[in-house]
Amino acid sequence: MGIGPSTKETTLHHFRDPLLDVVSKDEDIDLRGVIIVGTPQDNKMKHLVGNRVATWLDAMGCDGAIISADGWGNSDVDYANTMKEIGDRGMSVVGLKFIGKQAAFVVQNKYTNLVVDYNKSAKGVETEVVCENNVTEMDARKALAFLKLKIRRDKP
Amino acid sequence: MLEKKLVIKSFHVNQVQTGAKTSLASGVLTVNVASLELAPFAAFIESAEVNVINPYQHDGYVNTIVDIIPIATKALGTLGTGITHTLTGVYVLLTASDTDGGQMTAFGASNGILKEKLTFGQAGSPREEDVIIHVDVTLKSEASYLRQAATAMHQACDTLIQDIRDMLKTLPGHQADERYDFVEKEQTAGMKIKVAIVKQVAGQGAMYDNLLFPDEPSGVAGGMSIIDMNNMPVMLTPNEYRDGALRALT
Repeated sequence: MGIGPSTKETTLHHFRDPLLDVVSKDEDIDLRGVIIVGTPQDNKMKHLVGNRVATWLDAMGCDGAIISADGWGNSDVDYANTMKEIGDRGMSVVGLKFIGKQAAFVVQNKYTNLVVDYNKSAKGVETEVVCENNVTEMDARKALAFLKLKIRRDKP
Repeated sequence: MLEKKLVIKSFHVNQVQTGAKTSLASGVLTVNVASLELAPFAAFIESAEVNVINPYQHDGYVNTIVDIIPIATKALGTLGTGITHTLTGVYVLLTASDTDGGQMTAFGASNGILKEKLTFGQAGSPREEDVIIHVDVTLKSEASYLRQAATAMHQACDTLIQDIRDMLKTLPGHQADERYDFVEKEQTAGMKIKVAIVKQVAGQGAMYDNLLFPDEPSGVAGGMSIIDMNNMPVMLTPNEYRDGALRALT
């Protein structure tokens, strides 16, 4: 276990991910796919992988994207950068991330304000309780609602 | 043209016991514990134990939780297409420590009394009424923080699950308790909003790793590490993702 225990997403979580469930069932949405992207160590690579995600979404003709992360801290750099790359191409982007009181964004930009905090602990910290600070159906619904609003606002 | 349809059939398990031959009959899953292979991983793994944790019996001590894994297999087709058989009511819990008593973790440990260290009833965890097949691996301390060792405990656990999958594959589909059809429709009229999900996952080293495209849903064997793919983005169809194309090694 490398990621904090409470924010780690188990293999079972991926198998029945509430984010996929909510987005794929929504009648307003044409879900084009699920992009899995890693978090490299190297700064140049951190920027490249985010750039590639955004280029791909753009080529797919996406109106918007929801980005979710399974950890926090150093990987916020990748996360904020990917949001910026997506936003700078004129697509709407919202996020899901553990923030609480412990994991405010290490870096911020003008796209990182629409991120749903999926902290569940009373103290807002990494509790070391597995599956406690995970994305739930309600979190996914919030993120999708944010995205729909953002797309409506962003469209000319 | 390729049919973009995935069917998931679930078989419900009420009780798990160990025995000489893996089988499922009347909701009772028998698991052959001897199918857990350790020899190929002897450089990293000292020993492993398998035990069954019954519903609501969560007062025992466990080592750090490495993963919680569904038991699912392809009965027809490849990941994202065809038919998948899966078990409900039973999940695999993988925990680990090393021969010096060290916990398998790089950032926060979840060892302790199970009910205090796991939030039940989440998407990623069993419900309190589910049965847990608990695989506890003891790694050799000199190897325990190597990336290969971190992967080896998942690989060893996968051999036990594969034995169950091989049985699950052969169950008659019409005996399934539930059936879900997921059809990816071609979207024509431009009224719908085109959206993609981006999942950012760990890819920095031992215990910060993920596998894509394993041979079996949520499996290990045949999977490719996102680290070995330079962490570059990979596109999955919604059906590939819901069919277990991503395996957490975090």
